[in-house]
Amino acid sequence: MGAIRQSISMTSSRFALCLLGALVTSLNAAPDFIHEVAPILKKHCAECHTESKKKGGLSMNDENSFREGSENGPILHPTHPEKSLLLEVISTDDEDLRMPPKGKGLDDKQVEIIRQWVMAGAKWEPGYALKTPAYEPPLRPRNPTLPVAQGKRSNPIDRIIDHYLAGKKLPRPAPLDDSAFLRRVHLDLVGLLPDVETVRSFTADKSADKRSRLVDKLLADKTAYTDHWLTFWNDHLRNDYAGPGVIENGRKQISGWLYQAIYDNMPYDEFVRQLVAPTAENEGFANGIVWRGTISAAQIPPMQYAQSVGQTFLGINLKCASCHDSFVDRWKLSEAYGLAAIYSDKPLEMFRCDKPTGKTAVAAWLFPELGTVDASLPKDQRLKQLAALITHPQNGRTPRAIVNRLWQRLMGRGIVHPVDAMQSAPWNEDLLDYLAVHLTENHYDLKQTLRLICGSAAYQSKSESFREAPLESNYSYLGPRAKRLTAEEFTDAVWQICGTAPQKIDAPVNRDKAMVARASLMKSDLLMRTLGRPNREQIVTTRPNDLATLEAMDLNNGAILDQRLVQGAKALEARKFTSPTELSTYLWQAALSRNPTPEELKLSLTQLGPAPTAAAIQDLLWGLFMLPEFQIIR
Amino acid sequence: MQALPLDPEQPRRDFLKKLSAASIAALMARAPRASAETIIQPKATADACILLWMGGGMAAPETFDPKAYQPFVKGAPVANMLSTFPAIDTSVDNIKICQGLEKIAKVMDRATLIRSAVQPDLGSILHSRHQYHWHTGYVPPQTVAAPHIGAWMAKVLGPRNPVMPAFINIGQRLEGVGESEELKAFTTGGFFGSEFGPMNLPFPKEAMLAVRPPKGMDPGRFSNRRAFFQKLIDRTPHRDLMSDYQEASMLRSLDSAHRLLSAPEAKAFDLGLESKETREAYGDSNFGQGCLLARNLVEKGARFVEVTTEYVPFKNWDTHASGHEVMERMHREIDGPIARLILDLEERKLLDRTLVIVATEFSRDAMIEGVPGSKARDQSTAKSDVLLEPKHYGLHRHFTGGSSVVMFGGGMKKGYVHGSTADERPLIVTKDPVSISDLHATIFTAMGISPKTMYEIEQRPFYATQDGTGVAVKNVFA
Repeated sequence: MGAIRQSISMTSSRFALCLLGALVTSLNAAPDFIHEVAPILKKHCAECHTESKKKGGLSMNDENSFREGSENGPILHPTHPEKSLLLEVISTDDEDLRMPPKGKGLDDKQVEIIRQWVMAGAKWEPGYALKTPAYEPPLRPRNPTLPVAQGKRSNPIDRIIDHYLAGKKLPRPAPLDDSAFLRRVHLDLVGLLPDVETVRSFTADKSADKRSRLVDKLLADKTAYTDHWLTFWNDHLRNDYAGPGVIENGRKQISGWLYQAIYDNMPYDEFVRQLVAPTAENEGFANGIVWRGTISAAQIPPMQYAQSVGQTFLGINLKCASCHDSFVDRWKLSEAYGLAAIYSDKPLEMFRCDKPTGKTAVAAWLFPELGTVDASLPKDQRLKQLAALITHPQNGRTPRAIVNRLWQRLMGRGIVHPVDAMQSAPWNEDLLDYLAVHLTENHYDLKQTLRLICGSAAYQSKSESFREAPLESNYSYLGPRAKRLTAEEFTDAVWQICGTAPQKIDAPVNRDKAMVARASLMKSDLLMRTLGRPNREQIVTTRPNDLATLEAMDLNNGAILDQRLVQGAKALEARKFTSPTELSTYLWQAALSRNPTPEELKLSLTQLGPAPTAAAIQDLLWGLFMLPEFQIIR
Repeated sequence: MQALPLDPEQPRRDFLKKLSAASIAALMARAPRASAETIIQPKATADACILLWMGGGMAAPETFDPKAYQPFVKGAPVANMLSTFPAIDTSVDNIKICQGLEKIAKVMDRATLIRSAVQPDLGSILHSRHQYHWHTGYVPPQTVAAPHIGAWMAKVLGPRNPVMPAFINIGQRLEGVGESEELKAFTTGGFFGSEFGPMNLPFPKEAMLAVRPPKGMDPGRFSNRRAFFQKLIDRTPHRDLMSDYQEASMLRSLDSAHRLLSAPEAKAFDLGLESKETREAYGDSNFGQGCLLARNLVEKGARFVEVTTEYVPFKNWDTHASGHEVMERMHREIDGPIARLILDLEERKLLDRTLVIVATEFSRDAMIEGVPGSKARDQSTAKSDVLLEPKHYGLHRHFTGGSSVVMFGGGMKKGYVHGSTADERPLIVTKDPVSISDLHATIFTAMGISPKTMYEIEQRPFYATQDGTGVAVKNVFA
């Protein structure tokens, strides 16, 4: 059987050669691909057409991608090789059309080599790749086999990571002590510092399961959990209580729905379905931001929908493909429009770089392998179909995207980095796939993912420390990465320690009126803005991790923080601590979740004096809040 | 831990090195990557840039491009109204500007006057969108946060003087005014991050507060507080983190912020140190005092300073009724300060290397909203076919077909006019139109930044001018 097939294919290729021979009058010996052709392609084409680069939609990674052609169709003419687009662009005198666009281009000799190669059938060395094709993430879920647990380290995350570290001969990060764990897990799960009583009781508690009980307790604190994760989701769904577009009625909040969904711990698949196929109370996300007047075709509301759904739920960036076939990944203009057309109320005309193409988009979803959206159905039913496909049990990309985001939030860096580029290879495929399967098996309960991560020895390890800014290529896992307090966490911490949180919130949500405000529920102020709270005009899924000089200026002498500290110091003064030592100890425990060292206590007492004034307290507060130990979550 | 030097005399190079370390850190998270492509940057003709922003839509026929004068005559047809101010002579023979700008008229021999700036209509004339477009070079909405042109200068060129913030924005309140969210959307470092965003000084007369200890804290207490903090750092029990990159970089930023307060440059923020004569010469308005502040900041090393007459919907240049009357006030507000700023920069030998730009988001007209044939909604609130009362007298509609930009210094020609508009309505550009992209390309080129300068964000290229297509207007360069 195999032999027969081989002989047929040999015949047909001989036949093709004969045809070529008939067409071309003087056929020189075809140039050698490896030694003559590939070096030219590498030198002149690779920069824009290999690896993840696909300028004009053309990739030359390997033979398949090369033959697939560009946005303008195949670059080899199927029957008349001399008419091939490839030959035209490398030999034209028109500077605007010539390839490569930079430099002098190919010299005559090189053009002739390529021409002869194309005329001879443009044969590639079988299996030869100019560059390894870009990583293509799998679509379907995959349940990896867990490596054997080492000792008592039975958490699946640790089984995978211990195996990874052993394989790479990397050291296991050192374990985290109680107070550091307490501080980190509090901030990560509820966005608040542990209060002084919690610090005391937790460090005194000798029971073996105290850490897992703490995780459970925090996850069960519905209000604190919701107040905290609201920030995460506001960023991902670009929801805010004020912002561009509001004056024009161009955007609609989903705050009430969102708050309740987080509070009820709505299963993530249901959460996604409701946002993809929304009702009046949560349509703000799908509707996007509508600006008055003419806007780019790449920003019409249906296209915003495609971009937002792609980015937030799938970690797919369709922004390139909204305008033209992507140069950097596999997505095509027609696919972005297909997704947009699902949402569009009327037939959607396709534009390429803001110029009409004369084509009308056909509603379709990105992974037809899992099923399709029936373009003939009315919009609400198309959206329901799309919602079902995005949360299809065989769609592994949705759970992978969200577990990666949660991992990044807790561990400081994604398994896939950056988190919105899910087309990139994860540093550990098993880890990502396991977390995704774990989520679906737990009925899309995000708290279960958080619980799993927080319970791992990996999470409960010291964070990586580096002397120079780390390079993200060739990343190896060496422990969690430290994070900076977010604008909201910083604001809450100041309010919490001083007991000065305001009572009234800005967010229109159903929340216990007796509870004090959290920063996530307030409109952004200039301090929060400088500390990295985004405008939420775009989806911003990662906050800046470094303190810029202008932010530092706001912390150093800015009026907003200063007023908070004035107010905070007054409140603390009024609490009548019995002694400056007691006050100092309180502040260290409340701010840093530990006692002051004798040296620190001495400094603090000198600063406060025997009868601390509000001013002295205020300056002590500032000193504590500026400490990297306060602002960086380790 | 190595004590951080607080000495303001610390060598600049060292500081720059540290600053760039912070910038590298910013690159780490999600930040844009500079192009691998080598862009040949043009030779700069200016080191600093002052943008005098006439927010709200400054009518060219009422300022720098006078047309046939229509006095207020009861019953006169509004259709006859092109300018409501007569033209006056300037220090250049063939250049006339509007009455009310007599002081600027005297310095027009230092100016390049572009009369042919055009803006797209965007279907609906909305200050917020046109201002966003003008300040970033990109029409909103955008899929990524576009940086302000000041942020581009901060990013590509860095600070001129390491203690002085590179990008300073004077006179625009971002809270408590209409459309403040829309203003915030472009008053930003965008995807470059806040390291390159503006230092906002909404009230120039209070600018020194930005470089002083917080209100109510005397300098002694402020420096004690700082010393206490330093001791806490020195005695931290976490000695294992002494050389940690994130910690060190955070402390460096705090140190840089603190340094400005003790640096001699801080005095530049304090208008109280100016003589009464000087302050009066700049006028009492926020804009006038802002111009004086800009002069001082540029003198002490600021890279990009924007000073605005402030955009507040329906205020200042944004005249939807009684335009003539408001224009008289606006003339007074800008005439003295702009002229004095130019003369002061010249006297300090700074004008040659400082590009001063007077610009606005679009012009105005008495009849046409947008451009001829535009479907934009007519937003005049003083509708009448004939002049009946003063509220009808003025240019009350947004016009995008031709506006004026004045540029001084920074390598521009002197006493030169580029482009023209029609003398009969529609007052559209008749020669050498200059788009926002080309205007920005001109400004960037003067500053030594190629209009094709590109950074990658989310793996996509993002250029200093839209898609890298801006072309500098060669004729305006001396």
